[in-house]
Amino acid sequence: MTHAVKNRGTLEVTTPSDREIAMTRVFDAPRSMVFDAWTRPELLKRWLGVRKGWTLAVCEIDLRVGGEYRYVWRKDNGTEMGMRGVYREIVRPERIVCTEVFDDKWYEGEAVDTMVLVEENGKTTLTTTVLYDSKDARDGVLKSPMATGVGESYDKLDEVLADSRFEPADGTTR
Amino acid sequence: MTELAAPFRMSQPAISKHLKVLERAGLVSRGRDAQRRPRRLEAKPLAEATRWLERYRRHWEGNFQRLDVLLEELKTAGRNQRKRTGRKGDHQ
Repeated sequence: MTHAVKNRGTLEVTTPSDREIAMTRVFDAPRSMVFDAWTRPELLKRWLGVRKGWTLAVCEIDLRVGGEYRYVWRKDNGTEMGMRGVYREIVRPERIVCTEVFDDKWYEGEAVDTMVLVEENGKTTLTTTVLYDSKDARDGVLKSPMATGVGESYDKLDEVLADSRFEPADGTTR
Repeated sequence: MTELAAPFRMSQPAISKHLKVLERAGLVSRGRDAQRRPRRLEAKPLAEATRWLERYRRHWEGNFQRLDVLLEELKTAGRNQRKRTGRKGDHQ
């Protein structure tokens, strides 16, 4: 995929191979700032998976090669979802390679995440690629609660409401 | 297959290879009709795959919009700090 269009807010998701999911997104900030937002717990807790009653309750990061990270999201009803991994490469502020394993096994084995940050004119292009052990593992993730919104059903509701065929049960409108 | 190959500047074996990949992926099925082997596009798995990808994309777009907000805050904080440091001792 090319990086021809560099508008903030356009997230591109692709499957470069049978075992990968890649994302590209531009941020209107220098890459050191984007790097910090991904690696400092107090900043990560502000945005990663924090939606509709979910908090990133546990966020521990030992940012060195061989160091571990641990994230646990918690919903207001007590439901938890966790993941962990180990850092393999850290080149601040341009590159991180780490493993990822979810507590709930949506896929076999661990996946390898590669994050690359490229800065140009004060804007940062972020590319993340997740490489799974197998195609089945990758496809499992695409169907997982994570992909559909950290394990909750509001997306379903959004879909129903957005559906043009949706009509209120009382039939008062239309 | 001759019909399918017609619009492409590709050899028949090449077309046949592409079709086999699509068949293996369950995106194309093969029928039987005397001498012909009509292929049919299996749109359902394709649509499903697109749907999962779109949900995944939407999930991450939500994350990244929150990240945009945070980055704006960090930039503003950085600017204010620079302003304060820059004007240190400057009593206007």
